[in-house]
Formats: sequence, structure tokens, C-alpha cells
Amino acid sequence: MITACLSAIAGALISAFAACIPGLHVYNIMALIVIILHTTHTTLPPEILIPCASGMMAGFAMLNTIPSILLSAPDESAIFTVLPGQKYLMQGHGYEGIMITAAGGLAGLFVLIFIVGPLAPVILPAAQYVLRPHTHWILWCVICFMLMSEWHQEGRLGQGGWSKFLRSWKAPGMGILTFALSGVLGFILLYKSPLDEKNAFQNLMPAFIGLFTLPWLIINTVSRAKIPPQEITAGIYKSAVFKGAVAGSIGGGFAAFFPVITGGIGGFLAGHATAIRDNRAFLASQGTSKLIYYAGGLLFFFVPGLQTTHGGAAWMMRGLYTPSTNYDYHLALAAIAISGCTAFLLVSPLARLTITIIKKCGFRTISAAALALATVIVYIITGYMGLIIMLTSTGIGLIPVLFGSRRLHCLGIILLPMACNMSGLGPSIAKLMGLL
Amino acid sequence: MKGITHFAVGIATASCFPQAVHAGAAGNPLYFILAGIFGLMPDTLDFKFYRFFYKHDIEIIPDPNKPDPQLIADAIALAVNTTHATGKNIRVKLNTIPIAPDTWQQYKVSFNTTTREVTVSYGPLVDTSGTPITSENRRRKSLTASAKLDCNIRLDYQATIIIDIFDGPLLKMSPTRDHSVIPHFIPWHRQWSHSLVPCLLMALTAAAAWKPLAGMIIMTAYASHIAIDQIGFMGSNVLFPFRADRTHGLNMVHSNDALANFSIVWISCVVMFWNLYNSSPLTLPGFNLIKLLMYGVFLPGLAYITIRHKTLVAAKIRTKWNNFKHLFLQNRNTA
Repeated sequence: MITACLSAIAGALISAFAACIPGLHVYNIMALIVIILHTTHTTLPPEILIPCASGMMAGFAMLNTIPSILLSAPDESAIFTVLPGQKYLMQGHGYEGIMITAAGGLAGLFVLIFIVGPLAPVILPAAQYVLRPHTHWILWCVICFMLMSEWHQEGRLGQGGWSKFLRSWKAPGMGILTFALSGVLGFILLYKSPLDEKNAFQNLMPAFIGLFTLPWLIINTVSRAKIPPQEITAGIYKSAVFKGAVAGSIGGGFAAFFPVITGGIGGFLAGHATAIRDNRAFLASQGTSKLIYYAGGLLFFFVPGLQTTHGGAAWMMRGLYTPSTNYDYHLALAAIAISGCTAFLLVSPLARLTITIIKKCGFRTISAAALALATVIVYIITGYMGLIIMLTSTGIGLIPVLFGSRRLHCLGIILLPMACNMSGLGPSIAKLMGLL
Repeated sequence: MKGITHFAVGIATASCFPQAVHAGAAGNPLYFILAGIFGLMPDTLDFKFYRFFYKHDIEIIPDPNKPDPQLIADAIALAVNTTHATGKNIRVKLNTIPIAPDTWQQYKVSFNTTTREVTVSYGPLVDTSGTPITSENRRRKSLTASAKLDCNIRLDYQATIIIDIFDGPLLKMSPTRDHSVIPHFIPWHRQWSHSLVPCLLMALTAAAAWKPLAGMIIMTAYASHIAIDQIGFMGSNVLFPFRADRTHGLNMVHSNDALANFSIVWISCVVMFWNLYNSSPLTLPGFNLIKLLMYGVFLPGLAYITIRHKTLVAAKIRTKWNNFKHLFLQNRNTA
């Protein structure tokens, strides 16, 4: 039992390292561990493997808020924390924004342990049985809603007519373009990846960094952005966190259960369904959604009778271990509880440390350093070809940032090819694009 | 209602067609995509197309640096009085007041039917989520101004309109037979697009071009949108072109009410699940509609009501305790 507890805490500490370095994802570290285990032919007992992996997921979900809010350098599941997070940062309340998101994450942990934990083995296998043949059209519907619900921000002033209409369609048009370009890039990476075979396991990593992490780091560096001194205080917003937790639980649960849908999309759908307008509730909902998506995605892998593999962590675990009993499920659940609480306790000191570093070195310098670090990480893991993919995707990722459309459209990189594949259209489209 | 609500209801209606469910299970997503798109279509036509072509006669662009509610009140009164005097429709576009990239000046326009005046009052500064920015509002004074109207006002929507973020509303002042004026709120919305006629035309086109089932799905999804909007306040012009104006709604919920929207989305998901389950070849032992309603609708509803009740009771106790504390301190000071 002590081994399992220590493994869970170790997982949380490893993820704390990954979460605080922009560009480095917990999946990169997991993949590295998997490669080491395969090449050395080492087999870890479930008491180490399951708690460590669960701890890494829960810890990362809780702590990756720090770079998302303080540096605007999120991963794909935290993209929605960037804009409200920036508001907090620019008002000198970046720390508060982080703590509200973390409180949402803690609420998500409670939901996962006390509601999802006991109910998942009863409900999910039945739901899986009914919904599995319909997953593809659900994904298509999510895509349609995502594209149709973009708000027209321009075109407020002036007389009605074609000029106003065209002005108003600039941002949504750019959103559709971003989605299409990301989708094309996704097809290329899926069907004819320029990466070497040995780097194939990190196929999407340079693209994800280019689409989600680098654009704001570039803007921060180029625009000479300065942030006001940050206050290290946070209020208690029980009502906002409660509302956010309800919305985030639905969104995160949806994302963890359905393949291809990420925590960001889940949070977006839940935000719409529950009509959240308050920034605090919104941030809390993103914290909850992220935690349930990451930790829940792996937890569902261990649900007896479910046989589901959603999310990068579950895919990597599948190569190492085959869950068979309730013991594995309960071990994962306990590990998520321990590591989630550990990670929550780490949020405040790590946020303070990051704020101190930003204060000492300057926001622009830190953004530039993070930019350089992310580039180096991509080069080390995927080589020159990875850098080219990263640069291409950065160009696509800059479109929504510069034109004010949703960054969520960058998720076209997985949504479009996967939806096409699930409906059986993928190979035909790939052939049409000359990829097969 | 909100976009996701109409979208979810549209898909739920499509799931009521077993042929669509079988096609979906066999890998054809088109029926459900159509249902979602046409469930949202009436609002898409209005908000993404029609409103950008709608002309106005008076445009009010308040100066962010010189707050002047009198100017706004006078401009609205001018539109009402001109309509009354000439008998012609006058359209007024009220623009929002952006102060900074994420800061907006909120203002309210109220029509007082008894005193026959329009009042404009500047409210708090709000962010793009519509939440007041506390630190900025502490040092700001609220400004109010009124302007007299020459005629009676008959309301077609709410007496008070709040203008804050993104795009401001348009009011169409229309004369009536009894020499009053009706300020129609956003007259480009819920008119021809929310009528059963385009619904039928689109359905017939799809049925002729592709399959009758596609037409049926489009019609039910589109009609469900119109029906759901009718439970709100504004209503829709359901019988355009046979009627000129919107039919009043049932005034049951506000279109942006969080609970109403969420409840409809949730129930749509439950309906969808039941329809998908019904069409699947195997059965789950012991699972039936009553159990689904019990666990999917009744128990969550009960949990919500309990939490809500407890929150209200806690708030009442807190208020009573604060009043008691206040009285106690007052008595002690007097003593």
C-alpha cells in the first residue's frame, strides 16, 4: 500500500515538472517511460505502474493551469483558460485565476472519486454498448456545432448591407479556415507523416505545440507585453466553483467517455449547455473539465467490462498492462485521489514561484525563454522534420489569435480526420489528397 | 433559447426516426448532421445573415469618453415622436459602448407607459461576460436622463432593455391604429426565418433532392426550434407571410435562462439515449423506460430541488442571523 501511495505521489511530482514547462506534455514523459520499459524489457508491478500513471494524469490536469494563465501557453485541453486567465493576469490577479481553476480541479476530483467512481462500473458499460455504433455522428455533430456557434464580433457599426456582412464574417470565416487547414494537416500527419518511424509515437506532438502553445508565446514576445504586479490573494467563491463544477463535470465526463473529444471541447459544450457567463465559474468549469478528462480518461481504461481506450495515457498503458479486475480500478481511483490532492497542494507554491520568476526576469524574457524551450523540446523529440511541422502548425495557430476567432478550431487536426475515418470516408479523402 | 439547446433538440427529434438511427449505426451521419444544422437554422439565418443586411434610420453611437444619457434618450424619443407624427416606421440602432478591449459601459433603456417617457441610465462597467467590474465601478457615478414622448407606448417585449456587450439592439418604432407607438425589439429576429413556411419549403426541397426521410427530419428539427422559442417572451412570426408580426410567446422562461436551457438539453439527451437503445439489436437486462426516467430525469431533478431548497434556507438563516447581529449591536450601542 505504501508503494502504491508513493508511486501516486511520485506521479504527481513528475507531472508538476512537466506541467510547469511550456511545450512539455505529460504524454511526452509517459512515452519516454514506455520506451525505456520496452527497450530494457522491464515489467513494473501494477502497484507501481497504475498509481504512477494515474498520478501523472491527475497531477498534470491540476497543474498545467499555471503556464496556461501566467504565460498563455496551454495544451489543447486548457485553451479555454487562456482568455479569462489573461484578463486576470492583466488585472494583477493571475494567482487568483490559477487558484479558482485549481478549486474547480479539486471539485472535479471529488466528483471523480465520489460520483463517477462508484457509478462508472454500473453505467458506463451499458452506455458504451448503446452509444458505440453512434460515436461517429456524435463527433460530426460536435464539429457542426463548433463551427456554427462562432460569434460575430465585428460589424457592429454602420448601415446594413454587404460591407457590414463581409466585415462581420471575418472572424467566423477565419475560424472555418483554421479548422479546414488544421484538418488537412491532420490528414497529412495521419496518412503520410513526414516524421521518422522511431518518432511516430509523437506524431501529433509538434503540431499540438505549434497550434496551441507557441502562438501566444510569440505574441507575448513580439508585442513587448508587460504584466502588472501580481497580487498573491484569492477569494473564496463557493457559488461560482459549484456552478463551474457542475458544468465542468458534464463537459469533462463527455470528453473522457467519447473518443477524440478533448477536455477543451467538453468544457466548451458544457459552458454552452449551462449558460455560464461568469468568468470565475467559467475558469472553475475548465479546471473540473480538465481533471475529469485527463484522470477520468485513464480511469475508464480500468473500468471492469468497459474495454475502452480513450486518451493518450490509456493508449500507452494498453501496451504495458491489461486491466482485469476491480482491484486495478480501485487502485487507479485511490491513486487519483492521493495525487490529485498532492497536486492541489503544489498549485499555490508553484504559482508563486512562477510569478516570482516572471517578476525577476520579465514577462517578455520568460515568454521568449518558454518559446525557445518548447522549440528545443520539439527538436530533441522529433528532429528537424518535427520543427517543420511545428512551424507550419504555428502559422495555422496564429490565425485565430490574430483574427479573434476561436482557438478551438485548431482541434480540426484530430476532429476532421478522425470523424472522416469513423464514418469510413478517411481513406477516400486521403486518396483524393494524394496521401495514399 | 440558446444555440446548443436548439441543436440538441434537433438531434433528439432525428433520433425519433428509426431509419435515421439505423443509418447512423451503419456509418451514415448525414441525418443527424442535418437535424443539428436545421435545429439551429432559424437563428443562424437571423444572427449570421439577415441582421447584417437590416437597414436603420437612426444610429446612436454613444461617445465612450463623454457619457451622455440625455443624447440617447432624446434620439429614441425623436424616433417615437416622428413615427407618431408621420405614421411611418422608424428604425433606431442602439450601439454598445466599448471602453477597453474587455470592458463595456452598460446602459439601460426603459419605456414608462404611464408617464409617457423614455429613460436612459448608465449602469456599471462590465466585462465581455457581462459581469460588473467591481474595482472600476467603485468610483463611477450612475447617470440617468429622460425624454418625454408625444404618444402612448404599447410594449411588444420588455419595458427595460439592457445594452452591454458586442452588438447593440435595433428598435423598430411602428404606429398603431389607436395612435400609439410599438417599439419592436430586434425586428430582424424571429420573423420570416421562424415561420413554418420556410420550414416546409426547405423540407420539400430536401425531400425532392435527396430522400423523403431527410425532408421529414429537416421539418421536425426546424419546427422544434420554432416551438421551443414560443415558450419564451418574444414569440415568433410562425405564420409569415400570412401574418406581419410576431405572435406573443408563452412567457414561461427567458431565452437565456440557464436552468431552462440545461433542462431541455438534458431531456434531449435522455430521449436520444432511449431512441438509440430501442434501435439497438440487444437488450440490457432490467433496463426500461421507467428506470431511465427515474435515474435520468426524476432523481437528478430531485437532487437539484433539494440543493436549491437547502441553499435558499441557508441564505434565509444567514439573513436572519445578520439582522439579529445588527439589532444586537445597535441595542448594545444605545445601552
